[in-house]
Amino acid sequence: MSILLNNRTRLLIQGLGNEGQNQIRRSLDYGTKVVAGVHPGFRGGENFAYANHIFPVYATVTEAVEKTQANCSIIYVPAPGAADTILENIAAEVPLIVCITEGVPVHDMIRVRTALAGSKSKLIGPNCPGIIQPASKCRVGIHPPDVFMAGNVGVVSRSGTLVYEAVDQLTRAGIGQSTCVGVGGDPIIGEQQQAILRRFQNDPDTDAVVLIGEIGGLAEQAAAAYIKRSMTKPVVAFIAGATAPPGRRMGHAGAIIEGEAGTAEAKLAALEAAGAVISRSPAEIGSTMRRVLEEAGKYQAPGAAG
Amino acid sequence: MNIHEYQAKQLFKAHGVPVPGGGAATTEREARALIQEHGPAVVIKAQVHAGGRGKGRIVKRDRASRMYNYLAREPERNEGQIAGRRRGGVRIASGVEEALKEFRPMMDQDSRLVSVQTGPDGAPISAVLIEQQTSIAKEFYFSIQVDGANGQPLIVASAEGGQSIEAVNKKNPRAVLRVPVDPVEGYPAFRGRSLASQLGLPSPAIRPAGEMFANLYRVFTEMDATLVEVNPFVLTSEGTVMAIDGKVGLDDNASFRHGGYEEWRDRSQENPTEIEAEEANIGSYIKLDGNIGCVVNGAGLAMATMDTLKLYGGEPANFLDIGTVNRKDRVIEALRIIVNDPDVKVIFINIFGGLARVDIVAEGVVDAVTELNIQQPLVVRLNGSNVEEGRRVLHDSGIDIQTSDELGDAAELAVEAAKSGKRRTRSNN
Repeated sequence: MSILLNNRTRLLIQGLGNEGQNQIRRSLDYGTKVVAGVHPGFRGGENFAYANHIFPVYATVTEAVEKTQANCSIIYVPAPGAADTILENIAAEVPLIVCITEGVPVHDMIRVRTALAGSKSKLIGPNCPGIIQPASKCRVGIHPPDVFMAGNVGVVSRSGTLVYEAVDQLTRAGIGQSTCVGVGGDPIIGEQQQAILRRFQNDPDTDAVVLIGEIGGLAEQAAAAYIKRSMTKPVVAFIAGATAPPGRRMGHAGAIIEGEAGTAEAKLAALEAAGAVISRSPAEIGSTMRRVLEEAGKYQAPGAAG
Repeated sequence: MNIHEYQAKQLFKAHGVPVPGGGAATTEREARALIQEHGPAVVIKAQVHAGGRGKGRIVKRDRASRMYNYLAREPERNEGQIAGRRRGGVRIASGVEEALKEFRPMMDQDSRLVSVQTGPDGAPISAVLIEQQTSIAKEFYFSIQVDGANGQPLIVASAEGGQSIEAVNKKNPRAVLRVPVDPVEGYPAFRGRSLASQLGLPSPAIRPAGEMFANLYRVFTEMDATLVEVNPFVLTSEGTVMAIDGKVGLDDNASFRHGGYEEWRDRSQENPTEIEAEEANIGSYIKLDGNIGCVVNGAGLAMATMDTLKLYGGEPANFLDIGTVNRKDRVIEALRIIVNDPDVKVIFINIFGGLARVDIVAEGVVDAVTELNIQQPLVVRLNGSNVEEGRRVLHDSGIDIQTSDELGDAAELAVEAAKSGKRRTRSNN
């Protein structure tokens, strides 16, 4: 059932403001098993209801986990409280924490990473679209569900909207996805690209991986080193920002060109040397993957019995 | 967010980091008082956010772009000097009259500081820092930054200060010390003393240097800084340590706990259109050289959109990440910025809705066409959340808009429209 999520995922939601509620409705519509919410203003099991779905809301994460055996948390909490919420989940030993929130202060993330080390929790994000796994109908994030389709290709990206873009192309090319992970665009995040690649490499439901990076930082070089060392499954890679003027910050706090290592050219060269297939154009990620799968004999036509 | 050197030094001083005596002046009266107090031998430093200041040049506004080209073409022949004929952004002088002669051209309304990093317009000079000259025995480098991969603060230090640390690293990587900081322990003075000793500072300077490093770390954490850099800090001829320069970057994301960093911010150093974008709550806007105005959601997709346009032979006029759009006035504000850019010949809207709802974007586009009287051809690519409703809104408006579902196809349409130079035909409803 691919990586991080499966059909035993029991989701706990934090951040029940308007946007959080909208998103959780869409996850429920998609078929995701939401078991509880946490809101500090609630006491012992008040309910959140939508259509024929109903789940209890508790005041603390510890209580919610105790009562509902939630094993995955999604955080839509605004930036000033996001790190506190992540820390609460680490303290409650939630195995998988996904934080969507954009704009978390970097010093808060230093504290979070310190707390994560040696803990029982894994963190995806912040500033990410979350994780989606079409085969188990598990949507832990903010994805537009319609573009996703179950299949054998994994997707890992620093950018959220580029996950959608790549997946849209894959689906149009008749290629489904095993799991799609947005690791987040901030300088300090939980799991980084190479950790997700390792999960895909060890996942029997994934035959190939799309890796989407961007300028700035050294994460793609670390991913390239992992690919070279341990990866036997094909990887198609795209790096956003090849044409960005140097020295300017383009939105993502992590995407500043710092020296030559941060450039798209340096990252593409490292990935190519590691054996990844490069898609220079962001519009050709789908067609490149189709070619790679066909060459590997791993292309599964949609609707084919499997 | 960057702050000025004089502000960084205020922070240093307040945290017990030794800095030269001095202060910032904007008027001749203030300058005179500072020179009298801290002179006669003083350093005069133009306060701008751009780097490369010492080697930059102080020129009149109308000569800025010419100087920028000179500096780019033949840096050695044109670089600013600390003393002598070619006025740079950092000068030395002795005595009130000589120092004021350096102060006046810097504080002139019409002056700009041009360096390889300012761009052809140069940077306006916000204030002038006037300081006592320090007698230097040796220069060192010290900085604290965030190491994203390890999720920890990282101290970088070198006994070869006063020059670019990248250059030192290239020449002799072993001269650059890298010390990860355990955020739980913080950076107590004993760690600082150990670093001071590694840098080869003489024994009487070890204790004050250790304290200086620990205090700089307090600036880093208390201010939510992303960078604290002192290049150089020096060992003076008297055997003490002192921060001669100071650069501090603050984390915009943490501004909510620092009153918006209002007292540290200097809007005159920012691009006016970029401020306008920020006030309209648009994620991020950066002006570029081309003629295709872009409105995109998400930084990654915005960069990828620029990449695609270039691959098809087009040139983006800007980078614009509109952020998450759930209100149509945000779309109108974004388009207002694009339409007001005289370089824009075509408008390319590429929205892939996740959190953002595409139907609201479509409504915003339709309203903007009338409200802003948009003349340029529009190419719109919508996908994601509520896409069917979004496409219906565009179609039902009857406005002449080219659409495509796919990124590559849409980018090609935009590039063709930019090349043909046609205007939009009026709506037919």
